[in-house]
This record gives sequence, structure tokens and C-alpha cells, in this order.
Amino acid sequence: MLDLGALSVDIQNSHILRGVTLKVGQGELVCLIGRNGAGKTTTLRSIMGYRRPNAGTIAFLGRSLTDLPTHAIVRLGIGYAPEESEVYGDLTVAENIELPTWTCPEGRPAAERIALAYQIFPKLRQYMKRGGTQLSGGERKMVSIARALALDPKLLLLDEPFEGLSPAIIPTISDGIASIRKLGQSVLMAESNVHHIPDDADRLYVMERGEIIFAGTPGEAKRDPAVMRVISGAA
Amino acid sequence: MAAFINILLGGVFHAAVLFLVAAGLQIVFGVQKIVNLACGSFYALGAYFGVTTVTWALKAGLPPFLFLPVLIASGVVLAVIGPVIERLLRTVYDRDESFQLLLTFALVLMFQDIMRYFWGANPQQLGNLVMVYGKVGAGGVDLPVYNVLVIAGSIAIALILGGFLQRTRYGRILRATAENRAMTEALGVDVRRINVVVFTLGTVLGTVGGAFVVPTSAASLDMAVELVVEAFAVVVIGGLGSMRGALAGALVVGLMRAAAIALYAELELLSIYLVVILVLILRPSGLFGKPAE
Repeated sequence: MLDLGALSVDIQNSHILRGVTLKVGQGELVCLIGRNGAGKTTTLRSIMGYRRPNAGTIAFLGRSLTDLPTHAIVRLGIGYAPEESEVYGDLTVAENIELPTWTCPEGRPAAERIALAYQIFPKLRQYMKRGGTQLSGGERKMVSIARALALDPKLLLLDEPFEGLSPAIIPTISDGIASIRKLGQSVLMAESNVHHIPDDADRLYVMERGEIIFAGTPGEAKRDPAVMRVISGAA
Repeated sequence: MAAFINILLGGVFHAAVLFLVAAGLQIVFGVQKIVNLACGSFYALGAYFGVTTVTWALKAGLPPFLFLPVLIASGVVLAVIGPVIERLLRTVYDRDESFQLLLTFALVLMFQDIMRYFWGANPQQLGNLVMVYGKVGAGGVDLPVYNVLVIAGSIAIALILGGFLQRTRYGRILRATAENRAMTEALGVDVRRINVVVFTLGTVLGTVGGAFVVPTSAASLDMAVELVVEAFAVVVIGGLGSMRGALAGALVVGLMRAAAIALYAELELLSIYLVVILVLILRPSGLFGKPAE
């Protein structure tokens, strides 16, 4: 479904990504794990078209994304929940979640997409009329993920969905991701804390200084002491 | 009392026109983050084109009482320049504000020459057309009905614009784009298209404002710069990017200007900019602007 081949990205003359190769298959949950600054966010932002690669390929469903603008990439079927949530403060929770059904009306009916978003995070129904600035960090994360899901994407990119959250809210987000997984949704999740990686992840890529240093199952990663040294101290 | 009412009515009329141009400036800044000095040129162009169109229509046999719809249509037709200018501005979207100011100021100078080329250096006016609809008495003061129509028209445009931004899906998408362009792109919005629509809307607000004012005062080459000076006072007082601010700022500037002209005409700009300085000191984000983080 998603194929990154030897992807290299420079930002202000610094090599941020060095030959990153990864794959996400249909219905897979793939995790990209590494310390802060390892290049996870840049990888996701490059897929979304915010960063242009110096070398390498990004293909989605066989189509190259490297020359497409962000909105066209989204319309091919990629939803994105960024690290900072980026919930619109000027809009209500309900408007934030409905917005993708107005901007991308193709696909499943809007009502079905919105219902699904609330089904993943039922708590959001209580806050529907609340403005985006009146939410806690955890609530903003929920809105951000629900909003990306309301795009009806074929692939969902989640950037650090647990970053900066209080321990009390983490199970809610974790359950939400598990529910998304049950829908058969393909997900690529960037995470800096190994403890937040879902047990049923299909594949794990470990990233260090812009390079993929390990690719395999979570079980294989746990049996590799060198990898565990990197990801255990990743947070 | 009559003098006070005269100031009030004159101020509100000027505020009504000023609001349209300032609203255009605000919506363009809000969504595109461009401080568009050329809004004054659109205003002047609307005035000149309005004179030409209405004069031509009257010569072609248009009954004088129908001049207002023709005047409005002439302002709306100038929407065609919006996408052309927006295309030019794309070169400075991601650059420092100083480039944007230089480019839009260059546009002001270029438009001034274009208007000089087509209409000459002498002011152009519509004669006494403003009195076609008669007068209405208010507190011992006679006010042209035309002025009342313009005030009502501006209020209607403000309400429609507010309703559009607050209640329609497209309006909400515009507000989302104003708040976070990158995220809006990640929700499938072609922000380049939004830029064209918003800039064209801003252009039309300016040209219609210019068309509205021309029956009451002549179109002249200076009016672009004069308007920009006042529109920036409106924006500073009301708060950059705020439509409510545009309304409040336009009222403050319109009334201050009318009062100054009636009492100390020499101090017109000084009085307005004293308020601007006060606002900058006491409330730098303006009456309705969001404080900088």
C-alpha cells in the first residue's frame, strides 16, 4: 500500500532522513519508533508532501507522491493526525470532525464517517459544542485522530498519539487505536515510547539519526538486545 | 445638535465605505497572511470605473434612478482583476512581510499610473447624481437618501459576510484555513484555490466600496493612498484579521474623521492616528484582535 524507498530528506543542509525504506501493507498496523529527533515526524511529513525528498521514492497504491501537493495526497486516501493535534480553536469539536466530510465529500456518506469517528472516541460526543481551545491535551488528540478518520482514509498516519498526555488519558487513546485496528484500517504510527506500541503491531521499524536500524516484528525486536537498548531509552 | 447629527451621519457614511475596504483587507490578511496595500488601488479603480460605467449607461438611456445597480455591477465586474493580482502575489506568500509590503506598494504605484493613463490626472465625478433619490430629514439635518442606501448596503454586506463565515461550510473552511493553513491542506483543501477566492472577495469589497463613494466625492489619483492610510488605522484599532474589528475600527475612524473635518479640518489625520497610537500602547492587538502569543 505505502512504499518508501531509500528516502532522503535534507532540512537546511542537515541530513534528516538517510535512505529510509519502509512498507505498510493493506490492513497492517506498522510502528515507527525512535528517540525524539530521530526523523519520525519528518518521515510522516514527507509522506504528506510537506517536505520534498532529495532522493528516494514515496509510493501509495502504486502512485508516486513525491510531486503531489498535500491536498492531492489526502484525496488519494491518506489521513494524518499530527503530533501537535492541530485542532481548530475557532471551530467546535463537531465542526472539526465534520470538516473532512465537506472538504473530501467522495467515498462513504458523511453521516457514516462522522458516526464512526464518534464510535472510536464516544467521549467526544459530550464535547461536541465545545470550542477547540477549550479542550485538554488528551481531548485534542482524540479530536485530531477522529478528524483524520472522518476523511475515510485508506491509510492513517498517527504522529506520536500519546505524546505529552497524562497517564489517565492514555488508555482511552490506546483503546481508540485498538478500535481503529479492528476496523481493518491500515495505520502507520510514529512513537517514541516503546511501551505505547500496540502488542498486535504487524511490524516495527526502529529509527536512529534518520536511518532505519531495525525492521521486524515486535517479538523479533524484543529478542534483539541492541534494538531494545535504543527503543527502551527512546522516550 | 444639528452639527452633532451632521458629524454622526457623515461619519457613519464614511465608516460604511471604509468598512468594505477594511473588511477586504482583513479577510485577505486573515486567510492569506498578506498585508495588501493595493486594497486602496482597488477602491480607486472601483470609483473610476464606476464613473465611466454610469456615465456610459446614462448616455445609453439608463433612467438616472437605476444608476445604483449599475454602479454596484461595475464594482463587481472588477472581480476579474482579483485572480490576476493573486497570481502575482504567489511569489511572496512564503517570504518576509517586507517583500509583501514592497510588492503591494509597487502595485499601488502601478495602478496609479494605469488610472492616470485611462482617466487622466483630473478628478472624475458623477455630477449631482447623489440627489436622484432625494433627501431625508434627520434631527434637523438633510441627508441624501443615497447615503442611507449605502449605509444599509454596507450593513447588509457585513451581515451576509458574517453569516457566510460563521454559518456556511465554505465559511468554516475559510476560518480553518485562516487558523492553520497546513492542517487544512491535510484535510484535502486546495489552499491555492482558497487564496484565489479570498483575494477576489477582498478585491470586490474594495472596488464596490470605491463605486459606492464616487457619487458623493470625485474619483482622484490620491484616493488610493488616502484610503490605505485610513484602512490601516481601522485595522490597527479594530485588530488585524478581525471582521468585527473592521466594523468597530471603521466606525471609530469614520466618526473621528467627520468630527475633525467639522471642527479642525487640519487635524483630521492627526486625530485618527492619535487614537491609533493610543490603541498600540494600551491594546496592541486592537479592540478585537487576538493577542500575539
